[in-house]
Amino acid sequence: MTSPLMSIRGLEKKFDLSGSLLEQLQFEGGRLRRKQEAVHALNGVDLEVHKGEALCVVGESGCGKSTVARTVMGLLSPTAGEIHYDGERIDHLSGKQVLPYRRKMQMIFQNPYASLNPRMTIQQTLEEPIRFHHPDWKTDRVKAKVQDVMQSVGIDADWGSRFGHEFSGGQRQRIAIARALAVDPEFIVADEPISALDVSIQAQVLNLMMEAQEQRGLTYLFITHDLAVVEHFGTRVAVMYLGRVCELADTRTLFSNPRHPYTQALLSAIPKLEDDRPNHIRLQGEVPTPVNLPSGCVFHGRCPYANERCRTEVPALITTDGGTQVACHAVEENRL
Amino acid sequence: MTTATVSRWDRFRESFFWYSFKRDKVAIASFIVLLSMVLSAIFAPLLAPTDPYDLAQINIMNSELPPVGMNGADEAFPLGTDAQGRDMLSTILYGTRVSLMIGFGAVLLQAVLGILFGLLAGYLGGKVDSVLMRIADVQLSFSTLMVAIIVGAVFKASFGNLMFGEIAIYMLIFIIGVAEWPQIARTVRASVLAEKKKEYVDAAKVMGFGTGRIMFRHILPNTLSPIFVIATVQIANAIISEAALSFLGLGMPETQPSLGSLIKSGFDYIQSGSWWITLIPGLVLVVLVLVINLLGDWLRDVMNPRLYKG
Amino acid sequence: MALLEVKNLDVRFAVRGGDLTALRGISFELDKGERLGLVGESGAGKSVAAFSILNLIARPGYIAGGQILFEGKDLAAMSERELRKIRGNRIAMIFQDPMMTLNPVLTIGTQMVEAIQAHRKTNNKEARSIALSKLQKVQIPSPEKRLDQYPHELSGGMRQRVIIAIALLLDPEIIIADEPTTALDVTIQAEIMALLLELCEQDNVALMLITHDLGVVSQVTQRMLVMYSGRIIEQGPTREIINDAQHPYTQGLINALPQMGEPGQKLFQIPGSMPSLKNVPSGCPFHPRCSFATDQCRQVMPEYVRSGNVDVACYEVSNLIEQEKRMQEAGS
Repeated sequence: MTSPLMSIRGLEKKFDLSGSLLEQLQFEGGRLRRKQEAVHALNGVDLEVHKGEALCVVGESGCGKSTVARTVMGLLSPTAGEIHYDGERIDHLSGKQVLPYRRKMQMIFQNPYASLNPRMTIQQTLEEPIRFHHPDWKTDRVKAKVQDVMQSVGIDADWGSRFGHEFSGGQRQRIAIARALAVDPEFIVADEPISALDVSIQAQVLNLMMEAQEQRGLTYLFITHDLAVVEHFGTRVAVMYLGRVCELADTRTLFSNPRHPYTQALLSAIPKLEDDRPNHIRLQGEVPTPVNLPSGCVFHGRCPYANERCRTEVPALITTDGGTQVACHAVEENRL
Repeated sequence: MTTATVSRWDRFRESFFWYSFKRDKVAIASFIVLLSMVLSAIFAPLLAPTDPYDLAQINIMNSELPPVGMNGADEAFPLGTDAQGRDMLSTILYGTRVSLMIGFGAVLLQAVLGILFGLLAGYLGGKVDSVLMRIADVQLSFSTLMVAIIVGAVFKASFGNLMFGEIAIYMLIFIIGVAEWPQIARTVRASVLAEKKKEYVDAAKVMGFGTGRIMFRHILPNTLSPIFVIATVQIANAIISEAALSFLGLGMPETQPSLGSLIKSGFDYIQSGSWWITLIPGLVLVVLVLVINLLGDWLRDVMNPRLYKG
Repeated sequence: MALLEVKNLDVRFAVRGGDLTALRGISFELDKGERLGLVGESGAGKSVAAFSILNLIARPGYIAGGQILFEGKDLAAMSERELRKIRGNRIAMIFQDPMMTLNPVLTIGTQMVEAIQAHRKTNNKEARSIALSKLQKVQIPSPEKRLDQYPHELSGGMRQRVIIAIALLLDPEIIIADEPTTALDVTIQAEIMALLLELCEQDNVALMLITHDLGVVSQVTQRMLVMYSGRIIEQGPTREIINDAQHPYTQGLINALPQMGEPGQKLFQIPGSMPSLKNVPSGCPFHPRCSFATDQCRQVMPEYVRSGNVDVACYEVSNLIEQEKRMQEAGS
């Protein structure tokens, strides 16, 4: 197997909640103590993205999927762990050294209403990255490139002189995709790119992204909460829960034979057109806060199969015969 | 979608800004009054019948003449003359000019300092934010007038009256500008904090743009509306501060009077019946500050994003 | 007689440069205990429809015509005083964002007691026990404790359960739920939907569910309306529409779902996007995006035709029906 384009190793991210030293001091039982609290957004995530594939990361709010995206793109710095791109470690690079990767790796954001600068015209929005990364290009060439990329995402050339707020959500998302494609990236992180859009527009944007993948040989890291989209779009799927990957498999395998109890519950909760009634697997309780992580398997509090081992020992990702990687003691012990 | 390219002027005419301006009579009236005051101040040397700075044109025999319409008035001096025989109309035109220069100058200085520090504090956060905002707090805890009085007194003592007269206008701009920058810095910081969470800033970071470029090219243009509103109000405040300082004798000298020093110089003659020397510049000052504040109020309403439905 | 009957409802917004029509000729019925889905994308007018039923349309919006008959009485013509007796009491509403309904500075219990006492003469103790029983009904763990908690102490799913409990407080005949689960995660959404369905069935409460999610509509409702650009373009039994949609827009909406596409293949897509209220196209509002559009579609809004048990506003469908009729006549 060839080496992965992007690999994430042991990624951890904590967000400090406790503020300055003075705010951390608290009286407890008559004694002054220093109390530190943090949100454990990522707790040891390992992922590899291969060239030309679309790896989908799925999970519910608070599972850390967006943190993975933002850490990979360098918008957040990891607390621990490493990020490698094409064999080079990139998470500790400084401003100048990271520039070539800024061109190769691009991002598409969730909210098309906030991701375009309201005071810049579409032309300016698209030109700026090109000029920045190719300072030697003449104006003609920059303009030609903008025309080119606008055409490839299906937006009219005469939109250039207008501002973002004059467009609908779907059109804005096209412009945002055009901006990402303007610097000819190889790898695109898409953080919930369609969840703010209407159904008929979602299909347009998904199709556009698949077209771009075919034409440009793009690799995607696709973050979403919508499993139906994953089934359609993803090559492989990673299911996350409370900052950990609990199952990783080929899309087809995952949907036909989900192994982790959480994946099973998640799949059963998608409302399907052929259903006459909700028929989801009922889970106990709700997702715990990532401030005080449960011991052992993070899912044990809601899992119908949890036993003593699940409460104490953190399950590692193991590979099953089907090729699925799953972090579950019950699967390992053949209880499930 | 087919829309021909629209010019900036067309865009402006279709905007909510222009629409609400057209419908707001108070705003239109304030704007007209302010515009005419600013224009007449700018063109004071052309409009004024005499040059109050030119001692050769002043005749002490004309002193304390009342405005036209009163007993003993002289046609040549429509608003009367002051104690030194200067034409009141000309002095007020020149005085408004000085007041406006100080107002705009001080706010320009405030804006430069406030925008720079506000952007840095808001965008960089952490220690930079703490240090800059504590400086701003300390600065605000001294009242503008107190600082101005101390600095003014020191300047006056060390440079002497003559020299002080020459640099007074710059000194006032400096004092008022430096004393009030935290107002703008705080406003800028607050809107930078809101803007920097938006995804277009992340998109710019992902593109690899530098901090300076993101701050000035991407965030600053989006914080301009509140800056605009507060700057308008600050101009009025600066004009008032200047008038107060001049009234206390720490502002503009009587040879180059501002509205404030005109009021002061006339104040001594109220008892002797020459009320117009102080009352007319006083009215001009009130009107000037009032229209600026009214425009500021209107701007705030228009630029409030919650009310903005353009 | 239907419990709720909306007849030819027109809602407009008065803005600068004239009126915008948000709803045009909306007519539908809701029977006792019936579950009706209102489907459409953003801008279709489905929330406006929900708000106008209780005459809650805020200025600059206003009801320009038509009737909203609740048990035969016209809500559109009622005084604010009479309306208040119906709102929350006979017809309850559930919003997308629980914090729109919950006051953040009052405890859950206070708010529930207040809601009961606004409509019924009860003392605090009685009201509190009603509140408690409703919280139990929505399966909130340790309901006694919740009564003394503030909204921010609860999770999103829990808050939405409280909202449902509040809606149930006065045993309403109709619950209008406006995207009640859009802000929630899939697993929580499934639970809330199952709960809502169960409660409506138990007490024979009519439900009007406004959503963009066809999956949810198919799971919960018996009949559905599809809205586009302020009009109902198709209405009928949910199963019939989901399995065999007549209107090209409904078909497109269903086929655009990723679950309908072949994995790895392109999805079916409807070109363009919903027109804004400022420039609704002439004739059938869907014609610029429709592959069957003819000159007739561009000029005159089609009337409803019946196909099976479904009412559709589309010339293509009515032409097909005519054709079929002729074929049958020729055959016989």
